[in-house]
Amino acid sequence: MELLSQTIICGILLGGMYALIAIGMTLIMGVMNIVNLAHGALVMVGMYVTYVCAQEFGVDPYLGMFVAMLVLFFLGCLIQKFMINRLVEVESILPENQVLLTVGIMLVLTEGIRLIFKSDYRSVVTSYSSDTLYFSGMAISVPMLTGFFIAMLFTFLLHLFLTRTDLGKSIRATAQDRDAAVYMGINASKITMITFGLGAALAAAGGSLLLPLFYLWPDIGHLFTAKSFIITILGGLGSTGGAIVGGLILGIAESLGATYISMGYKDVVGLVIFLLVLLFLPGGVRSLVKRWQA
Amino acid sequence: MLKVKNLNAAYKDLQVLWDVAFEVKQGELVVLLGANGAGKTTTLNAISGLVASRTGTIEFLGQDIINLPGHKIAQMGITHVPEGRRLFPEMSVRENLEIGSLMPEAKAKRQETIKKVYELFPILAEKRNQDAGKLSGGQQQMLAIGRGLMALPKLLIMDEPSLGLAPVLVSQIFDIVKEINKQGVTVLLVEQNVVRTLGMCDRAYVLDNGRMTISGTGSELLNDEHIKEAYLGI
Repeated sequence: MELLSQTIICGILLGGMYALIAIGMTLIMGVMNIVNLAHGALVMVGMYVTYVCAQEFGVDPYLGMFVAMLVLFFLGCLIQKFMINRLVEVESILPENQVLLTVGIMLVLTEGIRLIFKSDYRSVVTSYSSDTLYFSGMAISVPMLTGFFIAMLFTFLLHLFLTRTDLGKSIRATAQDRDAAVYMGINASKITMITFGLGAALAAAGGSLLLPLFYLWPDIGHLFTAKSFIITILGGLGSTGGAIVGGLILGIAESLGATYISMGYKDVVGLVIFLLVLLFLPGGVRSLVKRWQA
Repeated sequence: MLKVKNLNAAYKDLQVLWDVAFEVKQGELVVLLGANGAGKTTTLNAISGLVASRTGTIEFLGQDIINLPGHKIAQMGITHVPEGRRLFPEMSVRENLEIGSLMPEAKAKRQETIKKVYELFPILAEKRNQDAGKLSGGQQQMLAIGRGLMALPKLLIMDEPSLGLAPVLVSQIFDIVKEINKQGVTVLLVEQNVVRTLGMCDRAYVLDNGRMTISGTGSELLNDEHIKEAYLGI
């Protein structure tokens, strides 16, 4: 019984951090209408920034995270403005080409990082890396707990930003009807750029929070692209709340899989859920809620 | 206030507007008439900067705006209430109104203008927290007009505000358009409801296959033989 509750709690904590990464992806998907297959690579680059801060300059990962967010915000803005946006402006090119472009960006980022850091597995060790809280027979890792709360805090702040500020409302408006947003005097290309930057910054935050828990190597990005993809489909496209639910489901499923099947099959569990959802619940958890309301 | 000259517009290889020219003066209510596909909406979209390939001159308050991007044109004071309402369906009524007042001057008076819009459309005040997508057709049209007013526009462009509404509501919407114009907002209106709009406008233009054919005051056009035949069926 304690094993089960510990597994579930661990899954929830992990899922909260996954959700943050996926929210970044939903945000971009909402405004751009494309799947950003470079999202995991952005997470990975963010993790390397935090890693370098910690390793070279002795900056604590939780502070390095802010550096990574800033770097990735600008990287995201540049990618959107000078690469993806150029394809949007040329009418003759198929929309699918934007998705292909994100694959290209993913490869360049991954191989670029490999060029600098090689394929070695790296990890950040801090004084609290292996700290554990004991709680009625359950052991809970401190970095996981911290990561979860920071992720939830960011999600809450993002929610406030999107619902309370004019810039946030402009982002939502642009996602819902781009032309109508222009009628309102919104500079839609600028909003798209900022949104991409914001999505990339959230990816960096999520990655940095997971840094004390994961080994880091250039190909880890693929793992996160897959995870955010699963979460977004689970939660229903373009919904922040859905991304949290999707993140928690994936986290718990992975955690259960790791405990009761095998550590090595952890990612397979997520992918199986992904396939099942696509087959039987293509609208995600959101469609279940709708069906239940009706 | 608005002077359009030699306006040509095209979608890819299809030219829709041919040398369109017309004028809207300060404080006027001008109507643009024409059959489906005559190019009315294209004319409005060309003014708002949403048709990519357009040539000619569109002078607004003495400045040529033909090459400005859409959001800049909106920021200059031209507010477009588009065909089909184009609300933000997953945002509340209140948020839709708020997003209509992003420019500094409009933003400063946001609360005040919202109050005025609620007075004009009491039903919107009642449904302020509901998602725009869940309103009825008439309520959505009211919200679209209200959202347009939030920008404190110098020129309000309305594209078929009566489309798809019940007759009672149509009448109500026209009364409101007239009222808005009376309060000093210059209005450029596109409509299919010929008799009603000719009765209330200052001047009207008729578009036919992308060309301006007839223009004059409302009563002149109401007595025009061609108009009678083509649009009124008498």
